[in-house]
This record gives sequence, C-alpha cells and structure tokens, in this order.
Amino acid sequence: MLKTDELQINIGPQHPSTHGVFRMLCTVDGETIVDLKPVFGYLHRNHEQLAEVSTYLQMMPYTDRLDYFNSMAMNWGLALAVEKLAGIPVPERAEYIRVIMNELTRILNHASALGFLINDMGAWQTPLLFGLREREKILDLFELASGARMMCNYFRFGGVLRDLPPEFLPQLQELMAGLPGFFDEFETLLRDNEILMARAVDVGILPKELAVSYSVTGPLLRASGIPYDIRKAEPYGIYERLDFDIPVGSVGDVYDRFLVRIEEMRQSYRILQQCLEQIGDAQGGHIVKEMASTGKQKALRPPVGDVYARVETPKGELGFYLVSDGSPQPYRYKVRAPSFINLSPLGDMCRGHKVADVVVILGSIDIVMGEVDR
Amino acid sequence: MTTEIEIQRGKAYTVDRGSVAKAPGTGMLKGLGVVFKHFVKSYGAKNSKKSDIAGTFTVEYPEERTKLPETYRNMPILLYDDESGQELCTSCFQCERICPPQVIHITQEKDPATGKAVPAAAEFLIEYDACMSCGLCHEVCPFDAIKMDHEFELSSAEHLSLTLNKEALNRPVSYYAAIAPRLWEEARAGAYKKLQGSLKRRSGYIGIAPQMQDHVPPAPVPEKPAPRAAAEAASARQAVTAEAAGSTQAAPTAAAPSTVDEKKARLEAIRAAKAAQKAADQNDQAKER
Repeated sequence: MLKTDELQINIGPQHPSTHGVFRMLCTVDGETIVDLKPVFGYLHRNHEQLAEVSTYLQMMPYTDRLDYFNSMAMNWGLALAVEKLAGIPVPERAEYIRVIMNELTRILNHASALGFLINDMGAWQTPLLFGLREREKILDLFELASGARMMCNYFRFGGVLRDLPPEFLPQLQELMAGLPGFFDEFETLLRDNEILMARAVDVGILPKELAVSYSVTGPLLRASGIPYDIRKAEPYGIYERLDFDIPVGSVGDVYDRFLVRIEEMRQSYRILQQCLEQIGDAQGGHIVKEMASTGKQKALRPPVGDVYARVETPKGELGFYLVSDGSPQPYRYKVRAPSFINLSPLGDMCRGHKVADVVVILGSIDIVMGEVDR
Repeated sequence: MTTEIEIQRGKAYTVDRGSVAKAPGTGMLKGLGVVFKHFVKSYGAKNSKKSDIAGTFTVEYPEERTKLPETYRNMPILLYDDESGQELCTSCFQCERICPPQVIHITQEKDPATGKAVPAAAEFLIEYDACMSCGLCHEVCPFDAIKMDHEFELSSAEHLSLTLNKEALNRPVSYYAAIAPRLWEEARAGAYKKLQGSLKRRSGYIGIAPQMQDHVPPAPVPEKPAPRAAAEAASARQAVTAEAAGSTQAAPTAAAPSTVDEKKARLEAIRAAKAAQKAADQNDQAKER
C-alpha cells in the first residue's frame, strides 16, 4: 500500500452544494474524509441582539428570515413563547389555522428538501422540480392568506393576522386532492432507484446514542430510530386532539432520512384532513379580542419573568428563550435553532466516507443557513 | 422488521426499507416511467386546477401574469382623496416607530403663521431599498393612510431612486380601491371620517398631495381669521394655478421632481438630526446615572 499524506482542504464557504455560506474544513486522505469540522458564522445577522432593542411585535417579521423555507413555523415559535410569557389565550379557530399553516409548511419543506437532496446526489433538476411544483402551489395559498409567499409574517400574539379569506379552504381542499398522488409518485420516482440506493444506503449513519448526545432533533433524530416529536412529547396548540403517527428509521443513514421525510408528509396530510373536518365547528375568531388591534400587539409588556417555548418545525425543535424585565423589549432573546444543532454531528457522520458523500450527508440533514447563523 | 410503539393518539412505526431483492435496473425503470408519463402529459392543455400533479405549470412571465391576491403586499404607498387631493396621512409617526428596519422618515407640517403642528405630513420619505415588506406600517396606521402596493417591478439602475418622497409615494384612493376592493371597503368609512377630523385643522395647500395642488382649490381657511402669511402664500399659489390652468393638465410628476442630490442631502440631514437626537438622549441618560 502506497503511503499517502493527509491534506487539509476547505469545502465552501462559496460552494453551491453547501446550501448557503457554510465552510467544511476537511482533512482528507486521498478521497477519504479523516476529519471534518463545520465552520459557521458567515451569515450572522445579529438576530438575537436586534431583539433587545426591538419590541416583541417587531421581531415577528425577523423570525421569517431565520428559516426562510418555513417562515410560518418560525412565526409560531415566537408567538408561542410570547403567549406563554404574557399568558395570552388563543381562540380555537386560530389554533386550527396555525396547524393548517404549519403542516402545509412541513409538506413544502420536505418536498423541496428531498428534491435538493437528490439534486446533491447528481440527479439534476427533475426530482427537484417535482418537489418545487408542490411547494409553489402551497406558497400560493400562503400568499392568499398572509400576503407574502415566503416572508409570511402571519402569526400574531393571540392568533393570526387576519382570518382566512373565503376562497382559502376550497383551494386547500383542491390542493389536497392531488397530494396523495404526489406522495406516491415522488416515492415511485426514486425510492428503488439503484443510483439513489448506492449513494444513500449505509451512508452517513448517525447512531441513536450519538444523535441523543448531540441533542439532534427532527427527522434526523427520528431516522436514527428515536420516536421523538414535540407535537407528541409536549403538545402545543391543538396537536393533542389530532391523530397522527411518528415514522422512525431503523438504520439512521441517508436512505432512512429520505423515507422518513416522505412518511412525514403523509402524516401531515392526515393532520390537514382532520383540521379541514373540524375547523368549521371551531369557536372564536382568528385572534383573541384583547389583542386584536396592532396597537395592543405593539405595546405588549409581558410581566417580569422568563420562558422557554418550543415547537416542532420541519427541521426539528425550535425553541425561544425569552427573558422579560417588564419593558416592551425583551431583556434576553435566545433562539434554539434546529438546523444549527443538527449540523454539529456532521463530522462524525462523514468520517470514513468519500468527499462526494459529504455533499449528500449535508443535504440529508436539511439545513437553512439563515437559521444556522441567525 | 417493523416495531410499533403506542403513543397517545398515534403510534411510532418503522419505515419500510424494502428488503425484497429486485432485478437490477427495475427501480430506475419505474422512475423513468413516471418521468415519461409527465413528458407526454406536458404536451396537453395547461393546468388550471390545484389538484393537478402533471402537465404544464409554467407561466410565461412578462407576457402572462398570475392574478395577485388582494392581501398581497410589496411596498408601502400613501393614499390621498381623488377629488379634494387631501392626503389621509396625519403624520402621527406610528409607522415610523414600528418599522423594524427604520426606513420611514416623517416631518410634520407646521402652520406657517402660528408655527403650530398641523395633522399633515410635510415630508414623508421611505427607503424602498431597505424596506422588508413586512406590512407592519399599514397594520398599525390608524388613519388607513399607508397601504401596501401590488407593484413589484421596481428595479432601477439608480440606487437613490429607491428612496421615495411623498410625491412618488402618493396614490389616489381609487387606485387602492381597484387593487384591494374588499380590504378598502372595510376601511373606507372609518378612513373618511378620520380625514374629516384632520381637515378641520388644515388650511390652504397643507395636506394636499403635491401632484394635485395644481388641480384643486386650496382648502377653506378655518373659522379663525387667516394669518396674513398663509393668505399671501395661498394667493400666490392661486396665481400659479391660474397660469398652469392655461396649459391644462401639466404632468404632475414632472412638476417638481426633486433631484437625486437633493433627495440624498435631505436623507442625510434627517439621519444626522436623528443621530444627534439619539446622542443627546444618551448623554441625558448618562448624566442621570
């Protein structure tokens, strides 16, 4: 065997496969990864410090910019934390609207994340466009309700900005009529594909114990075989009223993450169906009365105290830790970003694999740099 | 191998990895079959239903456009009444205060004779280039004066052309009523009632949209005897109006467009004043400590 020297190379920060500005400092021996260190911080935007000079409401549009794929889920994180801190009730109808938006977000995130994952494997564009087509249809619905496709800024403390327009639910029903077909087709398209199997099976295994010790959450953790979902473990909103299952993986490789995400989309579809049946009977309006005007939202002064609230975003556990000193601005505002924490075990997952696998493993984590760096 | 754990209202189940051995190449052929089906269908009619998952979905953008929903928001605009030209804005500074990126700069109008504040904006600048289209300004506006526009083709080679003054921001109420009929219907009655309230304290051309000043008479002077300076200014204005009336509708936008340099200088001045104010505040706070 020929003796070779180890070499340090950088992948990124300006590299199209890093999903943003992200650097991986790799030590390679030939094509094999000996060590890999993720380096973040290129997209730091002072999100948490900004909150200390902004009111609670002013931070709402900034949460859209954390994970710009799932702005509705990000909105919910902040809204939930502030509601818990200030003790604001949420009407039933608003809760249903929130769940509908959140589950639509999950479908659009998984559809496009899987598309990008396959893109990283080398299947250029075709599978990605299957996912993006569904995403576009869902974004049309978001635009109808909130006024924007990506930067929705739709959630308010005590409800949502405005009630669903009359054409929303019929359109959602029509969209949902096509979704099961899309899931099946997307699965048939790639599930048994030999190239995908070769690139994904037994690549980037994240063992259960390691996943837990890194406090990984979301589909990444569930693919490692741990049935942990905040919607079940600590139900928020009306999730305790809804029937849905948690798909888990058995090996914890890239292939499991692919399959778990497809199954999660199916579960989200189940939740949407139940919401559509039940929203007609839901009591209350889209926002609680005492918080209905923006003036009230703006002048919100939560009592002195601190709170940690968490939601299950499509990428994992999003937590907001808020400390209030009784003024309109939070004293401390901390975001527990799922992408950031899920990215930490990247080095362990990549060790021993080839350089080309790094890109696939990174794609399977499903990160958005806006959230990693904040 | 499937294990199931029972949890409340659901279960955890292991996803099927497909352990059955298949002939090599079949998986790929299955996928290609799907792609081929879509290829054939893409020559069919254009999709119109949301439930369609195959066919043509593209919109040939500059020629074809999708309809924007009423709630769509892009950039803030200001409204003025079509007939009287009176602006709905009363310079209450709510939008300036709530704007998360702090891109709105308002100066309040003052009565030229008494120097008292009048509920109208003398200047209203919005830096479109830094605006994040969050829509908080139009949510918070108690007078329904600031609304979100549907126009999204705003690209320009001139950076400072994206700092808009009152003249560029102003739109007639009928424009907004056309793009968002339902939303305006909800707001209309309240907006006009509040406008009547602020009209009582406006006089002359104060509060009249710049592009309408040549087309409408000045507002009647309120019950108090008009201060001489204001009356003179008003009569001077009328003389100009009379001249302009000869050339009928002189293009309102070309009437007095402030140059880029003027805009820049004004923006700098406003920023400097704000910074000075802030520094003074901080000094005061430091002294208190």
